[in-house]
Amino acid sequence: MTVERRVITVEPDQGGEPFVVKKFDNIEINDGDLVFEGDVIAGVESIELGPLAWGLLMTLKLSVVSLIFALFIGLFTGLARISANPALKNLAITYIELVRGTPLLVQIFIFYFFIGTVLDLDRFTAGVAALSVFTGAYIAEIVRSGIQSIAPGQMEAARSLGMTYVQAMTNVILPQAFKRTLPPMAGQFINLIKDSSLVSVISITDLSKAGREVVNSTFAPFEVWFTVALLYLVLTGLLSWLVQRLEKRLSASD
Amino acid sequence: MTDRIEPSMIVAHDVDKVYPNGCHALKKVSLSINSGEVVVIIGPSGSGKSTFLRTLNQLETISAGSIRIDGVSLTDRKTNINLVREEVGMVFQSFNLFPHKTALENVMLAPLKVRKLRKDQVRESARELMYRVGLSERMDSYPSQLSGGQQQRVAIARALAMKPKIMLFDEPTSALDPEMVGEVLDVMKSLAAEGMTMVVVTHEMGFAKEVADRVVFMEEGELVTENTPEAFFENTENERLQRFLGQVL
Repeated sequence: MTVERRVITVEPDQGGEPFVVKKFDNIEINDGDLVFEGDVIAGVESIELGPLAWGLLMTLKLSVVSLIFALFIGLFTGLARISANPALKNLAITYIELVRGTPLLVQIFIFYFFIGTVLDLDRFTAGVAALSVFTGAYIAEIVRSGIQSIAPGQMEAARSLGMTYVQAMTNVILPQAFKRTLPPMAGQFINLIKDSSLVSVISITDLSKAGREVVNSTFAPFEVWFTVALLYLVLTGLLSWLVQRLEKRLSASD
Repeated sequence: MTDRIEPSMIVAHDVDKVYPNGCHALKKVSLSINSGEVVVIIGPSGSGKSTFLRTLNQLETISAGSIRIDGVSLTDRKTNINLVREEVGMVFQSFNLFPHKTALENVMLAPLKVRKLRKDQVRESARELMYRVGLSERMDSYPSQLSGGQQQRVAIARALAMKPKIMLFDEPTSALDPEMVGEVLDVMKSLAAEGMTMVVVTHEMGFAKEVADRVVFMEEGELVTENTPEAFFENTENERLQRFLGQVL
């Protein structure tokens, strides 16, 4: 066999077509070596994600998807909470009280073992559902307090110009409330990232469960758990930083 | 005074307002205002004058009676109140500008969203309005960067941007420092001179004397008396009005 200009050519002893290898990163043999079947002649290098990195990605995915749903649930529940319609209002209050009055862990079990079984949901869907319903209740209260903190004169001015309730909300009230609720929202988003560690109890391999698995196989709790904590800190720190930048940008009109 | 043959812009008939807590804010208030007329409402605080003004665009609902704006009944369930409000501009005591938008954006918002006009067209007429209220230099300022008088002039421009037939002013100068009252009153005077139908709740007796076609006195939810400014301020018959004027003049 010959090695020439990053091309390995293996010539069979019994004659026949030579076997050519072109794509490789490191060579295990020299020019003119005799090789046998099963010998390693070259290798390809690549970076593969370890269990912690996969766990981090799962935590990120869980948090982002749950956050989007939680924002929608929170916005509509918050609006329903201050609605003049008593049915809508009471429904919102009941939901908020039910969710805030029970532990997230119990809700995750209910979503996975009861609702998940009935509706045939997979783990990830059940986990996202539990997290968004839980966080949505808290966001609803933040949205409500944000809207109620805007002076009633703003709504009156908007309505006096002929805007409908929805137009006044979307153009005048919500943009102002959004700015005012950013700090408590950021806190809630950070809580969501941390709360997502609880879904490891329904065997979703998020950052926490990945950490437990790595500890079980390496017996190095110190290094692993500190790494896990650090990775959570990177996620939440990044989020805090983003929200702070957004706050700065929105403060132009102050 | 209430000429029944001439078509009136605003006709309020026996308007009653009772708050849920039992407070009787308006007691059978009747008033009709013709197109182009400037009516000033005065009275002690708590007399219901602001409440009455706010019933004219249904920011306050009424308990009994009827109100017609340009022939449209506000108490009729089929009336789309938003369409009526497009024709009735309102200026508030506390300005109520939208703090997250610049002065020009404040003026542009309603024509864009409610009238759904083209943006370049709206911007053009908003600039003209800002020029008209003397704020062509401050169009890109946020409300927090403007003085009270400037904010109130932006608020007037914002209401005018909808090209309303009627303008309601709810104590427009009460929250202003004395030196800024003049600039706002000047804008209102020029508006009156152009023939705008105006209802003004104010404590500015000078404005009432100079600009009003009619002055209305309200006390304890009742419309006590109304007259032309000359006759109104010379009135010696009505004891309640005498007492009030004695306190403020």
